[in-house]
Amino acid sequence: MATISAEERGALRDSVRRLLADHSAEADVRGTMETEAGYDAELWRKLAEMGIAGLVVEEDFGGAGAGPLELELVMEEAGAALLCSPLLASGVLAAELLRALGDDDAKRRLLPGIAAGTSIASVALTGDAGTWTPEGISVTATEAEGGWRLKGKASYVIHGQNADVLLVVAKAGDDLQVYEVDPKAAAIAALPTFDHTLRLARITFVNTRARRLAARGSVWDAVQQALNLALVGLSGEQAGGARRVLDFTVDYAKARIQFGRAIGSFQAIKHMASDLLLESESAISAARNAARALAEDAPDADAAISLAAFACADAFSTTTATAIQMHGGIAFTWAHPAHLYLRRARADAQLFGAPAYYRERYIRQLGA
Amino acid sequence: MDDAASLASVSDDHLREKVASWLKANWDPSIRDNRQADGGGYSAWIAKVVEARWAAPRWPVQWFGRGLSNEQGRIVEQEFARVGAPGTGQDRTQLYANTLLAKGTEALKAKLIGPILRGEIVMCLLYSEPGAGSDLAGVRTRAELHGDHYVVNGQKVWTSTAATADYGMLIARTNWDVPKHAGLSFFFLPMKQPGVEVRPLRQITDESHFNEVFLTEATVPAENLLGELGQGWSVLQTALAYERSVMGEGARGPRSGVAEAVGEEPLIALAREAGVLSDPVLRQDIARVIAYKKLNALNTARAKADLAQGTSSPVMSLGKLAMSRILHEEARLRTAILGAGSLLEGCDHPRAEDANFLTLNAYFTSIGGGTDQIQRNIIGERVLGLPKEPEVDRDVPFREVRGG
Repeated sequence: MATISAEERGALRDSVRRLLADHSAEADVRGTMETEAGYDAELWRKLAEMGIAGLVVEEDFGGAGAGPLELELVMEEAGAALLCSPLLASGVLAAELLRALGDDDAKRRLLPGIAAGTSIASVALTGDAGTWTPEGISVTATEAEGGWRLKGKASYVIHGQNADVLLVVAKAGDDLQVYEVDPKAAAIAALPTFDHTLRLARITFVNTRARRLAARGSVWDAVQQALNLALVGLSGEQAGGARRVLDFTVDYAKARIQFGRAIGSFQAIKHMASDLLLESESAISAARNAARALAEDAPDADAAISLAAFACADAFSTTTATAIQMHGGIAFTWAHPAHLYLRRARADAQLFGAPAYYRERYIRQLGA
Repeated sequence: MDDAASLASVSDDHLREKVASWLKANWDPSIRDNRQADGGGYSAWIAKVVEARWAAPRWPVQWFGRGLSNEQGRIVEQEFARVGAPGTGQDRTQLYANTLLAKGTEALKAKLIGPILRGEIVMCLLYSEPGAGSDLAGVRTRAELHGDHYVVNGQKVWTSTAATADYGMLIARTNWDVPKHAGLSFFFLPMKQPGVEVRPLRQITDESHFNEVFLTEATVPAENLLGELGQGWSVLQTALAYERSVMGEGARGPRSGVAEAVGEEPLIALAREAGVLSDPVLRQDIARVIAYKKLNALNTARAKADLAQGTSSPVMSLGKLAMSRILHEEARLRTAILGAGSLLEGCDHPRAEDANFLTLNAYFTSIGGGTDQIQRNIIGERVLGLPKEPEVDRDVPFREVRGG
């Protein structure tokens, strides 16, 4: 990993913030979310030029060689701006899975394109069960004619419909393996999503030709490593989103006049805002702590990630839901952005496992 | 006394070396363990620290100090902490001495600052009244000038150490014809006099940490007025600022969850002992409450780090609110884990005792030192910048303000 100073980290954050202020404002997000691809190719190219598409990819493969700390900060900005992008699917989950597997040939072939943003990769993991666990995997692999063939369905594949490369986690007998599949060889159906800024696909494999990737160690450990990094990124997105929602809600409470005074002067509103400050600042603390623990490979890293996973999901959900109530009627309209954040919060709370799953994982990690 | 002059201009290394060598020559670690059963060693040590000007080194030279900056004062504290010696840092934490130094008359300072620093004088706070809780500026205890002294009548409440105190910091009304904040004055009231009656308050926990104080024709010398007559509210703000800064440090104690990270989480241990650790609903609940504690510890660490880098943090103000939730939630969860066991009390049922005590004592934090609701107002107004609620009594002569 490259050595990145606090100043460089701050500069990275600022430049992402400026880029997103210019190209991922509310009107941009609304425009992008109605497109089929669900992301703005031009903005994606700019993010890639800034090194964001390959942020956590090693420098040897064209990446920025950054780690969890930088990813978390960038994702705080992405969450605040409701960025529509395949970053989490391609630049985080798929890139980190390739690194964790350690198949040098696959890394050389796939990582440079991912880092440059010219190739979008996605990981097909869970089936219709929607659990990001070994039990949730429903694709099977069999060896035939000197190669591998996949059968079954994968679902909730993030940006699966936009993928140039699919990494499919499948059962081969009693083993788990990861296979590289050409998306053109599989039947990919876009799923309608409640969060319009998200793209999900369901992929059906019928005797689909696949290339098996080598694994240095346990395949599930590699998947877990990729999920851990994705969870750190997702936590940052949730924390940044929660804080942004609180900020625009407080601004509105200062500006909206009823009964001859700003509604923010009423304790009913003020107390909700104070409680949300505790929620959103706790989410920021949890997300940054998870990033730190993962970056340091600390003994408590797994527990820190579990904590961030449910604390940030709950905080983002609570903040967006409460913010709509605090606004009143205006936030019940499609034209107001609050519901876009509520939709994102509800989606983020399910991706890679729901809060209840991570609470159970947390208490187990604490020895219970 | 060694060189009494200011050390403000010496280098950090020189200062550090100077403190360390003084401690090496004077500190006896056995003193620390004798704090409770004090045969004189502990008080003698504190007196020595005061005499050597290490008790309040940030203070000016004429008042027991060495004129150090905040950072230099921290070096002194670090050196004391390194050997485990108490007594320094009073310029940061000694509420009464700091208030007196900032606002007291020369005569009162000369008389009391030394004894307070040396711990020879016990102090208490005479702020809240039965009719003035959250609305502290609404106090109705009156002080009237009679020649060279004031005569005080009224009732105070929530006063700890009142029974043994030598002086109480008193906020009282001296002018009823101006709005409420403008008619207050601040005194050091001598407690050991016939006009002061102290009655212990029995709390819902069946303990008595606080007292009611009845003031009937009690007298206080005019020189014991702090600040100007009618400026009591601003003196009180000075005193409250010191109190809050110390309370903030207290909130970072073992209850914050940091110290409990060693060994098994108490809630997990309790559920294991009660045989309910496999209950999936309780497991969710336990994870949630442990998370509250951990998140508060993380917030506090982040606020400290921000502070160290010179940026203020919105997180700083959230500790009390977070702690209230933690204490109430932990008490609720302990009760749920015990189930019917929580019906019992007494020394044969220590787990129930804990759960029941914590259930009641959680209000100590969510009401004491300003209710959570007042704290939410403060966060909303000072951190988030939301406008204040209109105050109907703000510009009215206090005589016309409703009480009750």
